[in-house]
Amino acid sequence: MTVTVEPSIFKIVKYDSKEIAGVAQEMLKLLGMESTNLLIDVDETVAMSRVTTTLSDPVHILVMSSAFENLKKPMTFSIDNAKFSLGRGLLRIRDRQSGNFADAPTDEDLSVVESAVWETYCVGRLSRLGLKVHKQRWQYNFRNRHGFKDAVDKQFEKIWEADGLTWSQLSEISQHALA
Amino acid sequence: MRKFFPVEDLARDERFNQATNEERMADPRGTSNTGVIRKARSTNRLTPLRPDATDAARSLMHGIMVGEIQALEGAGRTCFDFVTGEEAPFALKLDMARQCWDEARHVEISVKLSEWMGTELGQFIENTVLFAAACSQDPVLRLAGVNRALEGLAIDVFTTMKEFGELAGDPYLAFCEDWMLADEVTHVKMGSVWLRKITENDPERRKKALEFQSVVDKIFSYGGLRSESDESPILLARRFRELAGFSDGELTEIADVSLAALNERREAVEKTLASSPA
Amino acid sequence: MADPFKARNPFAPWDRRELPGMFDVEETARRVGHYKWAEMKLFEVLGGWIATVPEIDVKLRLGTHCYKHAWHAELWHNRLPELREMNPERLTVAPNDAMVRFIAALTEPEAPEMTIEKLVGVYRVFIPHFISAYTFHLNNTSQITDGPTSRSIKFILQDEFDDWRDGEMLIQTLLTTPAEVKRASEHQARLEILLIEAGGIAGPGTIGSAFAE
Repeated sequence: MTVTVEPSIFKIVKYDSKEIAGVAQEMLKLLGMESTNLLIDVDETVAMSRVTTTLSDPVHILVMSSAFENLKKPMTFSIDNAKFSLGRGLLRIRDRQSGNFADAPTDEDLSVVESAVWETYCVGRLSRLGLKVHKQRWQYNFRNRHGFKDAVDKQFEKIWEADGLTWSQLSEISQHALA
Repeated sequence: MRKFFPVEDLARDERFNQATNEERMADPRGTSNTGVIRKARSTNRLTPLRPDATDAARSLMHGIMVGEIQALEGAGRTCFDFVTGEEAPFALKLDMARQCWDEARHVEISVKLSEWMGTELGQFIENTVLFAAACSQDPVLRLAGVNRALEGLAIDVFTTMKEFGELAGDPYLAFCEDWMLADEVTHVKMGSVWLRKITENDPERRKKALEFQSVVDKIFSYGGLRSESDESPILLARRFRELAGFSDGELTEIADVSLAALNERREAVEKTLASSPA
Repeated sequence: MADPFKARNPFAPWDRRELPGMFDVEETARRVGHYKWAEMKLFEVLGGWIATVPEIDVKLRLGTHCYKHAWHAELWHNRLPELREMNPERLTVAPNDAMVRFIAALTEPEAPEMTIEKLVGVYRVFIPHFISAYTFHLNNTSQITDGPTSRSIKFILQDEFDDWRDGEMLIQTLLTTPAEVKRASEHQARLEILLIEAGGIAGPGTIGSAFAE
């Protein structure tokens, strides 16, 4: 496993590329992805939390700086946030590597609904791996994309608790929620 | 207890972290118009269609909550800092006490909404600029800066959040924002009425107050957070501002100031991008 | 249906209100002026303290209660001209210097670690004295001639009881050690002594005399 972080020296945010690489290696181990090589590209000019992944070798992860940020102390690094953001991106990569998500759009082409569904699936799994997760945040995101109804909440729970889903299964649950 | 309480002494529990406006503005990063973000957005207006809509709404709601706490504190200080009758009329103080109750309810509402949206108290940094505007030693300047400029911004923010809730179908958000909006229109009206009344025979003081309001308006445009352009997340809510007593001329001035702030921000982002590694 | 033209008593059998009352117009105006002054001092300090307390639940209660006492002050402000006092400010005064000293002592705590003192002053001393003063007034004024004051007092007392309960419960959540209990009772005693010296919110005789003549 090799992990490269760009830039190696940050000019705007107070991040350390070695620390980021260390967190990434920890997450690769936790997710059973030791054989994956990573290039983490941090855009420190944008204060957003978006993480975009591309399946390649090395796997490319484009991170907007707030995804690794301590929101209580802007422009400083948060290990918890970095783990969580990388964890979500890496799980999408792992899903794609499994072949069960071959028909999923690229990260950049995911619709807001598709993105919410996949995020729910990833975060649910991360919570079971022991990461600090605020479930209500993701439920609210899911509701925003599918509607504020009890039936939608049931579909959310189904995805949150799930393991081993395929993209078409995820999409089907989402369609049920939207119906 | 001292008269005139300094902003750096605002009391908070361990969950909260505060930053001054200077510290906040020292962050040169943008939140839009670059690479992937540009591709994903046709507008920066806060609507459910934005890919980051949920997190942006959560962050804004937290900002509303801490803003309401500071508005509560500011109105409370105006009740205490000035001698009744000599420095501030009794009826003005009654209005400020009423505002305390309203702001306390707004904090309660925002806390509940934040929980509903999945945000923890103190999860985001608190900008203390609102209370800073409430520290003037002239009550008229406080009314201009807080009631007219900041509560005016609250009208814009609540209108945007209400629309967000309606579009997303969120049953609580739209309901609560509409209630808070009604209160804010009342607060802005209070500011307009008292500003005119107290400075009726003091054009110099009125001028100073309006200048202060304009400065606060610009600071609070947050480099383009609020304007009539689609590039701003928050839309200037002309209709509700009219109800609150703003004249056409005043609205045009606020729109101009906000647009100028947006342009300044745009230039700063471009400068940052030009100087950063490719 | 009963015959509408049959003579009836002006006072229904269950209406036991009486004409006599302890206070004439002048005395009522004097008391109301002191109530207004005290309510003003209370809403002002509650407002001022909001920024100084770190506990968010306390902060919000202070904000809510600030308005209620401002409203009480407004009720009394509006009542004064009805009591022949055309210049309400003339009677909006402390009953004596001791009361001024009490307010100064009540208002003194500022530090964020002094929430106990702030709440004890209001909810264990000042508001219980308001309840006493208003209850005494309500029970001793003419139930017929001074109807407007009685009506205001009934509204106000409802607030006072609600706020006292809120404040007392907050204090109980803050007192977690014997040292804190001691702090609270020492501050309470200090303020209570000043209020005894003042004779109560409306000065000596605020709640009459409990002793046999």
